[in-house]
Amino acid sequence: MNAERHEDLAALAALDLLTTAEQAEFTVALAHHLELATLAASLRSTAAELAHIAPVAEPPADLKIRLLNSIAIQAKTARATLAQSPRLAILPFPTWIGFATAACFACLAAYFAQAYFNESALNSAFRDQQTLADLSLRSTKNQLAAERLITQRELADAVKRASDSAALITTLESRLAETKQQLFAQGTIADYKIATLASLLGNSSQAGAVAVWNPASQEGVLTVQKLPALAADKDYQLWVVDPQYSIPVDGGVFKVDPATGEGRLIFHPNRPVKTVAKFAVSLERKGGVPKAEGPMVLIGP
Amino acid sequence: MPLMLSSHLSSYISWPSPVHGLEPARVFPRMKTEQIADFSHARHEADARLLGLVAAGDSAALGELYDRFSRPLYATALRILNDPGEAQDIVHDAFVSVWEKASSFETTRGTAFSWVLTLTRNRAIDRLRSRRRRHELLETSTPSDLGLDENTSGPAANLAASTSDQASTLRAAVAALPADQQRALKLAFFSGLTQEEIAARLETPLGTIKARIRRGLLKLRDQLANRL
Repeated sequence: MNAERHEDLAALAALDLLTTAEQAEFTVALAHHLELATLAASLRSTAAELAHIAPVAEPPADLKIRLLNSIAIQAKTARATLAQSPRLAILPFPTWIGFATAACFACLAAYFAQAYFNESALNSAFRDQQTLADLSLRSTKNQLAAERLITQRELADAVKRASDSAALITTLESRLAETKQQLFAQGTIADYKIATLASLLGNSSQAGAVAVWNPASQEGVLTVQKLPALAADKDYQLWVVDPQYSIPVDGGVFKVDPATGEGRLIFHPNRPVKTVAKFAVSLERKGGVPKAEGPMVLIGP
Repeated sequence: MPLMLSSHLSSYISWPSPVHGLEPARVFPRMKTEQIADFSHARHEADARLLGLVAAGDSAALGELYDRFSRPLYATALRILNDPGEAQDIVHDAFVSVWEKASSFETTRGTAFSWVLTLTRNRAIDRLRSRRRRHELLETSTPSDLGLDENTSGPAANLAASTSDQASTLRAAVAALPADQQRALKLAFFSGLTQEEIAARLETPLGTIKARIRRGLLKLRDQLANRL
């Protein structure tokens, strides 16, 4: 609070013009600023001097006498009251009646005052309850509003997740369709042809092979075992016998492990194969030949 | 004993009672400004001592205090109420209150005169407001409420103009204030109006009214410090 505000309050106080709020403010300020009390006292004294600018008027002479008489009567009454108070214990009967009546009135007044205060307390309690209920209602409203916001946010997230899921499902369905298409293109396992090839070699009767052929992809796998080791200028060559061709179709050349006689060939015939009648393996010169020349070592089924 | 003290006080102060109407320089023609200030201080101190005696139950001291204060108090009550009978009742009741409450006076809160004046003025204003509430005759009940013309007609105006030198000094000090500050101060002191009512009456913003009252009182205080 600045000095000007203090002066304002002190000036208004000097003329008894403070509002209730200003009076409270002034009281607080007086407690904290000792110099304000001095200022207020000086302004009050100054304001009092304004009395001298009123048109001069002489009070009637008997006013002073009247005043002093009032004072004298008051003093006499006070003395008489003091003097009479010890005799209260021996009051005559009529005086006792008066006091009894007064006591009754006092009791009644106390009873009604008590009733009034009880009623006031009850009203106050109701008001407090009302206030609490209002607060609770406001709190619940706020909570509901917050929950609604959270729910809206969760709903938005769920919608977004559902949208993402739908997109994923679409993608998966698309992939599934592609896979199905590929599978369809590749054919099913039931369409695969699996054949075992038996040895035609007198000195290696345990030699053998398994061929798995996928007609859809025109691709196959040949696994051989216990074939004799090859000479450096030789290769084994696979042949696929298809009745539509006059000679077997070249399936490719392969080698075997000299120690175990095992080998594996993923083959793609150099001509389209419609029906596989047999698989055959021959011993050919290195690099293979277009038409089988060497001895057959495996055939099947 | 109280009477003796009171008599002793009178001789100490060295002026005949009542003294409110006498200018210090008139009592002591050769006094300088500092001496005049001392005189004013001594006057307030003497008032306070009298009040102390009243608090002790000295009715003679109350009589002396009455002689000192009654004229400006009565003039103020009359100025506020515009009714001699009511003004007399107010002054009477105020002095009875002084008799009863003198012990509660504190010198730190102002002069003895300001304390007694407050008792009188508050009573007069209470009665004025009560009258206004009863009759709702604000405009007619106190025709000179505005305090702009000290010579307006009415019972108060019929009284003799101030012949007091001290009153003349006060009037001169007030006259030296800007006119708007004079109007605000007079209304605030004599009309019994609230700040808002004063602002409405003068058709001036409330903040301006407060500022005028503040500046007016501060200037008046400084001027009185120089003149008394």
